[in-house]
Amino acid sequence: MKKLIAAIKKEVLQLLSDGLGLTLMFLLPLMLVFIITIIQDSAYKIVNDNNIDLLVANGDEGDQSVLLIDALADSKLFNIIHSSADETHLKKELLASDGLIAIYFPSTFSADLEAKSEAMSEFIVSNFGVTENKNKLVNNSSIHLKLYYDPVLQENYRMSISNMLNSYISMIENDMMINSIFTKMEMEAPKDLKKYMVENQTVIDQVPALFSDNKIHPNSTQHNVPAWTLFAMFFMVISLGGNIVKERSNGSFLRLKMLPTSFATILGSKIIVYLFVAILQVTLIFSIGKLTFPMIGLPELTWPSNFLALIVIVLLSGLSAVSFALLIGTITKSQVQANGLGAVLVIIFAAIGGIWIPTFVMPEFMQNIAMMSPLYWCLEGFYILFLQDGDWATLLPVVTYLILFIVSCLIIILIKLKQERLI
Amino acid sequence: MSKLSTVTVNSISKQYKKAKHLSLNNVSFNIQVGDKLGILGPNGAGKSTLISILTGILDPTIGAVTYQNEKGEQIDGNDLKLKIGYVPQEYAIYEDLNLHQNVAYFGALYGLSKEEIIKVEEELLQEFGLEEAHLKKVKHYSGGMKRRLNLILSLLHKPEILFLDEPTAGVDVQNKHAIIQFLNQLSAKGTTLIYTSHHMDEAEQICNRIILLNKGEIVKDTNIEYLMGENPAESLTEIFLKYTEVH
Repeated sequence: MKKLIAAIKKEVLQLLSDGLGLTLMFLLPLMLVFIITIIQDSAYKIVNDNNIDLLVANGDEGDQSVLLIDALADSKLFNIIHSSADETHLKKELLASDGLIAIYFPSTFSADLEAKSEAMSEFIVSNFGVTENKNKLVNNSSIHLKLYYDPVLQENYRMSISNMLNSYISMIENDMMINSIFTKMEMEAPKDLKKYMVENQTVIDQVPALFSDNKIHPNSTQHNVPAWTLFAMFFMVISLGGNIVKERSNGSFLRLKMLPTSFATILGSKIIVYLFVAILQVTLIFSIGKLTFPMIGLPELTWPSNFLALIVIVLLSGLSAVSFALLIGTITKSQVQANGLGAVLVIIFAAIGGIWIPTFVMPEFMQNIAMMSPLYWCLEGFYILFLQDGDWATLLPVVTYLILFIVSCLIIILIKLKQERLI
Repeated sequence: MSKLSTVTVNSISKQYKKAKHLSLNNVSFNIQVGDKLGILGPNGAGKSTLISILTGILDPTIGAVTYQNEKGEQIDGNDLKLKIGYVPQEYAIYEDLNLHQNVAYFGALYGLSKEEIIKVEEELLQEFGLEEAHLKKVKHYSGGMKRRLNLILSLLHKPEILFLDEPTAGVDVQNKHAIIQFLNQLSAKGTTLIYTSHHMDEAEQICNRIILLNKGEIVKDTNIEYLMGENPAESLTEIFLKYTEVH
């Protein structure tokens, strides 16, 4: 026990003297978790909460464009900025401004909309037999609205604006069409019909699919806090992996072999210290997600209801990171090699494991490759707990994979050190 | 625990995996307590392989090394580890730690108590003139200071036999002199020294017996005075060159 305590003390001293390693393990993930969560959250808020500037140049000779602009302004999603520019100059004006999108209404916008509504109402009325002429609808794609966008604007956001515009245009068209039908039937359109249509749209309730009734709301915090904590954990490869290479190459392991101390004590001390580091990383970053995030307007981290399962996943993730670092330190020949290979592998494992981009958006073959990444399984464990509030049964594949990964790494490490006659 | 008496090296040969030649070929000799044995030879002669086998780091392909106490009983395992010290060629020390932390770590792994570590640290630091640097991180030490610390860490448990693999490699004349002086003092106190080098002048200052290795075979195992008597007109370096070939 005394030997284990001495070995632990030495590991702690070595760790404390490793400024780069500590920075990579604590400061880097803290910065990442803040930056990425703020960015993702503000992107979410841009779409959902904030008004964004919308540059509007209205070349329309009719009134329908004004109705559409008013509807956009009423939506409170946009801050409408009117421009007198023509089509060519609007693009330049957008580029010169801080805005992201601009709409240009062509001169025939209202006329085209009215013609379309007229054609549709005529078709409906004739088919009701109110008029004798049976019209056929002709495809008419002549109505154009130009949406200029800054190329930095993500496609999904562009699409949501486009869909919103279509939705408002449809409402205007429907209104015009209904009025036209009533006119053709020589009746007065009910005044409250339009109001009814606007106020009684279908409400889409969005409900996260959770295994429990816990009120977890999937958001940028629930993803980023565990994801970047895992990234940080695996970056212990720079510190621990580097130390192992040094000890192998400078003869320290040989000296240790000459001591009346088992190798299990030496290995055990490293595992204990770095597992503690992993737990410290989790405690620190999760506490920030829980306590600091709400203070700066970010969503608060919500704990899963199965806290014991969370502890198990944290321990298994930490042990996976430690085993990976030990493995890299054992199979590489120099500290430069260990740092390079370790860092590159962590980044690759993070990329394919869904730390940056969720794996479900990846093509199928990439999703299969993702399963080779220990970070994928660690993240999957946290996803099950933090996003789905899953139970032990759903965690079983994750637990099984991580145990297999840890055991495999340790077996390879022991074989390699035995081959080198260091143990 | 009774003291170590003899080390018997019995017909050992060593061939590394994928190697075409034997690194050691049928090597046999005995080491007696109090010996100051120099294992000498050109680069690639098998000196480090032999010392690695003697210390148990490597297993021989054929043959065996046995350690016996005064009662003729064999010593091995942790009992043996407490009786032998090994000074590797590399600086096998933790450069991110200071001298005191290195001593405390290795001392504890030798099973020494806190008090024993403090006592032995005081003695050795004074002996090697490193008292003032003991709280300085080892990475800031000169090559000579690191060599001295390398030696200190192998002496914490007061070994009966000390194996030294090129202990003065890369140090200046002053540090080399200090190390040699200390080794002679250590030997005078009864510690058996087994030392490898290709520096004949050093061997002459430390050893009373030399084993000359060439291409993995012993070409000479003799007392230095006897060897010099056999070749009166020649220096040890000239004798060395006579018995060995350039690799």
